[in-house]
Amino acid sequence: MSESARKKQRTTSHNSEAPGDAEEGTPNSNLRQLAGVIPKPITPFRRASSAGPTSGSRRTPNIAIRTPGTAARTPRGGPTTRPITARRAAPTTPHAILALRERAARTPGHNRRRSGRIQRETPRDTLRNLSRVLARTTQAVQPSEIPEPPPRNPALDLPDIEDGPDLIAPRLSMPLGDMYDDDSFHEAPPRQSLLPELPDDVDTGTMHSLEFGRRALSEDPRIMFTTRVSERFADLNELGVDGDEFEVDGTFINRRPTADQDQLLDEAIDEVLDDTTTEIRALTGRRDGRPSDINLGVFGDMDEPDEPTFRFTIPPRIQVPLQEEAPQDLDGYEDAGMYAGLGVQPDIIASDDEDDAVGGGEMLGWESDDNEGEDQDLQAYRGEASAVDRSLLPQSPEPRTGNKGGARTQRKETKISPLGNEYRSLPASIVKRLATSFAKAQGSKAKIDQDTLAVIMSTTDWFFEKLGEDLVAYSQHAKRKVIEQRDVIALMKRQRQITATNTCFSLAQKMLPRELLQELRMEPLPKLKGGRQKRKRMETIEEEDRE
Amino acid sequence: MAGGKTLYPRGTLKKIVKANTNQKLSKNVDILIFLNYALFLQDLIKEAGIASKQSGERVITARSIRKVRADCLAKFAG
Repeated sequence: MSESARKKQRTTSHNSEAPGDAEEGTPNSNLRQLAGVIPKPITPFRRASSAGPTSGSRRTPNIAIRTPGTAARTPRGGPTTRPITARRAAPTTPHAILALRERAARTPGHNRRRSGRIQRETPRDTLRNLSRVLARTTQAVQPSEIPEPPPRNPALDLPDIEDGPDLIAPRLSMPLGDMYDDDSFHEAPPRQSLLPELPDDVDTGTMHSLEFGRRALSEDPRIMFTTRVSERFADLNELGVDGDEFEVDGTFINRRPTADQDQLLDEAIDEVLDDTTTEIRALTGRRDGRPSDINLGVFGDMDEPDEPTFRFTIPPRIQVPLQEEAPQDLDGYEDAGMYAGLGVQPDIIASDDEDDAVGGGEMLGWESDDNEGEDQDLQAYRGEASAVDRSLLPQSPEPRTGNKGGARTQRKETKISPLGNEYRSLPASIVKRLATSFAKAQGSKAKIDQDTLAVIMSTTDWFFEKLGEDLVAYSQHAKRKVIEQRDVIALMKRQRQITATNTCFSLAQKMLPRELLQELRMEPLPKLKGGRQKRKRMETIEEEDRE
Repeated sequence: MAGGKTLYPRGTLKKIVKANTNQKLSKNVDILIFLNYALFLQDLIKEAGIASKQSGERVITARSIRKVRADCLAKFAG
């Protein structure tokens, strides 16, 4: 016992400078002295909170030593070991606390090792420990006197800038009482659903819901006249046709049934005439589909000057602006309608497409002279019949290619552009091939029948009309007479076909065969790259300005 | 592509555009125009396919194209 005490005393005497006179006392006194010198054995909990090898951590309280080997390498029992325990009593600096906590968290398996102590190691305990430690040294914070707000910057207190004492401090709450002032820009608050009591003379009409009765979708006038050109009967009523003869029924305008009896008679007569005259015309080889021509010999002496104005009123199937050629164009449609309505097989309509123009140059000149001799009623009725969708008239055979006059059927269908030029639309076979390939690529059944193709063709024509307008607009804006590739590129940019990721060439590569691609690439290359990008951008800006 | 010659008759297309614009065309514009048209047609067919599927048809019909063509034309308006 004493030996051990001596040993201990010896060991401690190195460090703690144990007084030399202690050697004179009894071992008991020695021991007691020792007990006084040696700090009480620390509970392992504190060491655990430091969570690490005791040595070495002194150097870097900040850095957690995670490798267990480092602790083993440090010399045990070195001069640093002893005082550490005393130092460890309390980590006071926030840095140290943080580091300790961090290290505790990072040590692998530290939970397992100190499984019994986990409950005491909660951060709350740490904090409590900390508070205990700090409680000795801290005092309650006495709120110091609020220092005077620093004086305003004297530079702001220029004598000429006088903001004066009359500024009213802004109210931070809404003044509810002032909200209903007339000059308040706030909207009136929502009213309660229960109406307040009002004096009798107040008109309460606006207090109620203002919702009108709604129409069914089928009766909506906006939907009534939408995309189909054949349904544009509003024009018909506006321009010249007396409205009482027709009645609007749903999306169609029907003739009132009272007038039908006379009409049928007329039709019967007309039919007879038609049968004879068509053959005559077939013999003479004339190319015209005009009923007025048919009747020329019969009723030819009646002159009706107002007839052309009526013809203007019927919108054609293709949107043709009213120009010089337009009336003749319309005549063609009218004819088609009439034949459909009367059930006559005409031989003059060369094409099966319902919306192609009949117009040939010599024909126009010829018939413009003699569009007289037509019963006004009959004319009106024919106009109507042409405009009504022919699917409504089940008894009418489709006006197909003529049964006589093979020379005429060979005539390619020409169309008249809005600008009055004749052109032929793209060959149907090519459009069909293209559409079929697209449909195939898209995954649906690649079958496109005749009706569908007809619709696609008419859509194609519309597309090119629109495209022409746009291109003209772009090139004219650039004060050019020639439509160039830039115009098309600008157009495609506006269509959002050409984007940052999708260049014109990538599109072309996708869609076009190689020889076309080469031609496309050959021309712009010399002046390309630098200038082209700029130009493209400039054009788009210009377009936006234009609008 | 299919068909030994070119994809489309260049002269016809040029005539169509000329008739609709009353202006001259520079040399290879028609290719780009055709490219634009092809894109349009692709879009039209695609939309029509969707519309026809929605209405339960199996092939693209004239009705479905009528339904979508206004939208497609509007989309390709410059």
